[in-house]
Amino acid sequence: MSLGLLLLIAMGGSAVTYVLGGLSERLRDAVAVLVSLTVAVGVALLYGRSFESTLCTGFLGIPLLLRIGPLSWLFAMTVASVGCLSVIFSLSYMRGRERTGFYYAALLLVQAAMLGVTLAGDLLSLFIFWEIMSWSTFLLISYNGGSALAAGMKYFVMSIVGSLSMLVGVVLVYVAFGTVQLSGVAASLGAASPGYVLAVLLLFGAAFGVKSAVWPFHAWLPPAHSEAPSPFSAVLSGVLIKMGFYGFLLLMYVLIGMRGFLELGWRALPVHTILAIVGAVTIILPTFIALLQTDAKRLLAWSTVAQAGYIILGISFGTSLGVAGGTLHFLSHAAFKALLFMVAGAVEYRTGGVRDLDSLGGLIKRMPLTFVAALVGVCGLIGVPLTNGFISKWLIYKTLILEGSPFLAFVALIGTWGTILYGYKFLHNIFLGQLPETLRDVKPAPFSMRVPMTVLMAVVVLFGVLPGIPLRVIDTIGTSFGFSSLRVAPWGIVSESGVVNTVNILAAVVVGVLAAWLIFRSGKRGERVDQADSYAAGAAVPEGRYQYSVHFYDPLRRMMAPWLVDRVDSFYMGLAARFNVVSDGLRRIYTGYVGHYVLYVVLFLSAVIFVQIVWGPW
Amino acid sequence: MVMKVLWFIVSPLAALVVGILFLALSRRFMARIQWRYGPPLYQPLIDIMRLFTQRSVSHGPVFDLGIVLTLAASFVVVLFLPFGGICPLGGSGGLLVVLYMMLLAPLGVALSAGEAANPNSSIGVSRKFILALGYEVPLLLVLLAVMTRYDTISLTEIVAAQRAATSSIATFPLVLSGVAYLLIMPAVMGLRPFEVVQAPQEISSGPMAELGGRYLAMATLQHTLSMFIAISLFVNLLWGGASNPFVFFLKMLVVFALGLWVNAAFPRLRVDQAIRYLWRWPTLVAFVGLLLVVVIGR
Repeated sequence: MSLGLLLLIAMGGSAVTYVLGGLSERLRDAVAVLVSLTVAVGVALLYGRSFESTLCTGFLGIPLLLRIGPLSWLFAMTVASVGCLSVIFSLSYMRGRERTGFYYAALLLVQAAMLGVTLAGDLLSLFIFWEIMSWSTFLLISYNGGSALAAGMKYFVMSIVGSLSMLVGVVLVYVAFGTVQLSGVAASLGAASPGYVLAVLLLFGAAFGVKSAVWPFHAWLPPAHSEAPSPFSAVLSGVLIKMGFYGFLLLMYVLIGMRGFLELGWRALPVHTILAIVGAVTIILPTFIALLQTDAKRLLAWSTVAQAGYIILGISFGTSLGVAGGTLHFLSHAAFKALLFMVAGAVEYRTGGVRDLDSLGGLIKRMPLTFVAALVGVCGLIGVPLTNGFISKWLIYKTLILEGSPFLAFVALIGTWGTILYGYKFLHNIFLGQLPETLRDVKPAPFSMRVPMTVLMAVVVLFGVLPGIPLRVIDTIGTSFGFSSLRVAPWGIVSESGVVNTVNILAAVVVGVLAAWLIFRSGKRGERVDQADSYAAGAAVPEGRYQYSVHFYDPLRRMMAPWLVDRVDSFYMGLAARFNVVSDGLRRIYTGYVGHYVLYVVLFLSAVIFVQIVWGPW
Repeated sequence: MVMKVLWFIVSPLAALVVGILFLALSRRFMARIQWRYGPPLYQPLIDIMRLFTQRSVSHGPVFDLGIVLTLAASFVVVLFLPFGGICPLGGSGGLLVVLYMMLLAPLGVALSAGEAANPNSSIGVSRKFILALGYEVPLLLVLLAVMTRYDTISLTEIVAAQRAATSSIATFPLVLSGVAYLLIMPAVMGLRPFEVVQAPQEISSGPMAELGGRYLAMATLQHTLSMFIAISLFVNLLWGGASNPFVFFLKMLVVFALGLWVNAAFPRLRVDQAIRYLWRWPTLVAFVGLLLVVVIGR
């Protein structure tokens, strides 16, 4: 399938869905699923191919190009599959809401734009798709109105700043080299002066940094992720922020090139080390902020910022293991975080919109499959062995330790311990403990929600047991960047020092569980009792009040809360407030009297004449 | 091949025997410090066997599975740890896998305690995780210092390197890491003054509040294994391991006795006091240790 046709189906599908929305809801749902499925299959068929094609020949005198290679394919495939699952999840989530036609059209448009970003063959079309992606995302974030509108605005303002910086970058490159084609830019940028390369890196880096929510550009993410409709939160967290990482990989290792990138900066402090440190900061602060959250989706959103830190740490560390780990972690994160947002969405849907972690509990008895999904997702997030998150984190840790950066490794490992704390809080406060009276009649998640959750669960486990499947693709990406090839086997990586072997771990776990289960079986069976039949020191269990979930980590919260203020966000908000004051002052010159306006004109002209007479610049 | 399969069975069994023996010794030891006689050495074994035949309650499938998982995870960790020359899974990811596997056991307890629908259990679990975060900070600094010093993530290679030269704790920068590990050892093993997770007089044994019969028996077995793991990690990483299981056992016994003295002498801390302690001196010492390892070089 040609790349142009694929994009046409994706973009056209969005428009068709919108039109059909007015005719029949069923038909529209079917078409939306069909379009996203077709795109996913289309991308899958492009596996292993790399070529370039022309989208249109003369836009502003510059041809727009599309191209695909291993890097583009991996990201496009993730976009298409998470997008497809999110559309399926939306079917019941959005039923009965208003403006659903608009919702589906915007959802498909975001996906089409992301596809465009990954397939863009030159910087100009990259910028165009980037912009379409940015504003269509804004439409969906603010879909719910109210506080979602404020979240959307925050996203939009930061996004515009990023896009403008990217536009300046594109112009800078075009003026210097006369081409925006990726391969052409890559050839010229390799020979450019380090100062110039650094400027390009900063300009594009700002755009990619905002999108990938790397500290200190993360401020838009927590409100946006928590206020967006849940299926779209899955897309936001799963793939949209990953476009930033696609950009970083493209910039660092394709445009600038591995050698150029790793040599950039000062001897004592190369640029890639600075980026790795930024990654470490992005891990540590958001992890602990996530601990304090009481909104299920906000907790997941902060966790996304933290995981973005692992990815940037991995890819900017600049070793073959690090880049492979960072890239794999993007893929792992796409699967388990989309899964977790779907879990939050399913709970929200069935409980009538409750996201407050302090008022849920005991739902394991009502939504068993959703609990299993949450458990698998949290295990992936922590990086428990035999889930996909383990392999990616293992690669990152290993390279950090062996390349002599134990302090970065320490930050990454401590981040994991923080992850356990908030991961368990998410599980416990929603699914475990006592089931409150208000949630007695909650039903299991509907079929159209169970399907995408099951698929994602399977991916998390499959890529954890057989990490060779994604690693093979990632290895071709790494070698195309010029890194030495990892010796990938289906069960892991063979290398000189330390091997990860998931088959051994799997065998050990199976045997261990079997042994423990046999010991367990040999004992006398326990009697199954109700939650009200619980130990209360001889007293009756107080109905509805026998739960510990408010302030779950209270001692820690009291100790750490004063330290965990998001100063970056306060800085931005302060800046926005100042800006408002200044704009408000400027507004006052519009008095509505024609006489005043005439006065301004006369004053301006006299100023110009004065300048001309005294200095004579013109 | 047959030998290898045999090790897979022998090593967890040995860990269980040593763990239960430690439990018995600890009861005798504590009794002597408190001027009592204490129970006979075989008492814990009888207790565990009796528990398996006693009645109990179950709160659901995750309640059962969590308990099975926690014991299974401890078995698996034991397979990764060298026990005086015996190490069935030496080459499968090294210390990093051990670190991750070590968190499965608390996770199993936490899941089980969660479905028990008892706030005492939930409080216990929340304390367990906070305490773990507390001691993980110095512990990770210690482990990273050792891994950086020997430039490997493999436990067997670390042991081999120490056997070729001398124990880590006797070399200069790593002596600080060793001291830091000893300072946090009671917290890792859940002994007083860090006994906040169970705190029987306060939150009814925390995560174990709902456990009886075979559930309690499983939890006891897991407890013995977790003590084994914490001590074995110290002996392997910092005290040179051992060439045969008997010497290894003797070394473990010395470390365990140290822990018991602390256990007997101190009253329980609050959780926040525990964190303040753990993040102050042990962290500082471990941090300086790691810094020196990095600065002085490998």
